Amino acid sequence: MDCPVLWIHAEALGPANPALLAHPGRPALFVFEPGLLEGAAGPISLKRIVFLYECLLELPVTIRQGHGAEEVLAFAARHRADGVVTSAWVDPQLGGIAACVAAALPLQVLEAEPFVDLPEPVDLGRFSRYWRSAGPLLRPDLAGPLESS
Amino acid sequence: MTSSTPPSEPAPPPQPNRADLPRQFPDRGAMVLELAARFPLASGGASPIRGGSKPALAALAAVDPERYVASRNHLDGAVSGLSPYIRHGVLSLAQVRDVVRQRMARGPGLVSEKLLQELAWRDYWQRLWIRLGDDIWENQEPLKTGQREAAYAQELPDDIREGRTGLACIDAFARQLIDTGWLHNHARMWLAAYVVHWRRVRWQAGASWFLRHLLDGDAASNNLSWQWVASSFSSKPYLFNRANLERFGAGRHCPGCPAAEACPFEGSYEDLQTRLFSAPQLDDQAKGEAV
Repeated sequence: MDCPVLWIHAEALGPANPALLAHPGRPALFVFEPGLLEGAAGPISLKRIVFLYECLLELPVTIRQGHGAEEVLAFAARHRADGVVTSAWVDPQLGGIAACVAAALPLQVLEAEPFVDLPEPVDLGRFSRYWRSAGPLLRPDLAGPLESS
Repeated sequence: MTSSTPPSEPAPPPQPNRADLPRQFPDRGAMVLELAARFPLASGGASPIRGGSKPALAALAAVDPERYVASRNHLDGAVSGLSPYIRHGVLSLAQVRDVVRQRMARGPGLVSEKLLQELAWRDYWQRLWIRLGDDIWENQEPLKTGQREAAYAQELPDDIREGRTGLACIDAFARQLIDTGWLHNHARMWLAAYVVHWRRVRWQAGASWFLRHLLDGDAASNNLSWQWVASSFSSKPYLFNRANLERFGAGRHCPGCPAAEACPFEGSYEDLQTRLFSAPQLDDQAKGEAV
């Protein structure tokens, strides 16, 4: 992929967005998509939109309203892009948009640094079971500095 | 694929497009007016909580794991306020983790890992969302309240939604939710317990209400926390009583409450369980410790 555009979504609105870091200077797009704004929970309030917008104004990103995948593909065509780069998502609605984009253009998905790297399968039955695996990997090594002092 | 991908060619010169949304405003008020016009279905005004990395980094700089653990259950406690920024990736969970770990390690003694654990709760909810997908809107387990599912109303009553139940605490939480888009975790739990157990409304109605307003709202943390309160993702329903609310509520609500003499939260946990659930909940009820 030589000249991609970047699709910035609402789970990665910071300067550490992996797509922005990997492709500085490439055209980037954020879409306010009706499906995300008026999904199962009903329309989100204006304060959420203002908050998102304030995050977006700090990023080098074009902001649009419309159908997510259509806007991303139109933006790619506008910039004669040969693919789309984005960052990993959790919200399945973002996955739906990504699938539509990927059906038309190569889509590269960049992963952010994980919070904790756990061997699969992770027991998510209750938090306590997850924490039994994650806790030991997350606790700071308090012995280190003491030993070296 | 990783972020080590080689940088691509620089972008061609920008081509203005009239459908692009504006990026320049004289001030915040003008931006809010513009967005209100462009998003007519979005209700209300702006939150005093600002988006962007500057306020996010200021909140991160103020994080103190020791003060957090000592006061976090109190409405005026030293909570981090980071959740809206983490939710939208302004700060990554890994970035916050590193700061918390550094501050935990710099003290002379052992600092509680509670704040680290709270970050882990978010990671846990996100992993569950990936696994569950849209099933995150369904009960993960049967309710343990002894009530039939049909006993729960489908819709959130207007008096709750509009903050006019006549209960000073509940109305204050609802107004804060609507005005600011943020609530202390303990207030979220109290409000959710009131909706689900006292008013017997299905948790999905309350979760949807929260998602419309919370700046940090996503279906993972939000819905699964509602299910935790409702008992469809926990071993027993979460309850609170007036003593718990007075202890952790910064003394703000009960004085002057119009319902103080007939407070529905007055009573022991055993009394409340008998009153609210069709079968007594025999387990010891959590005494108001936040999730």
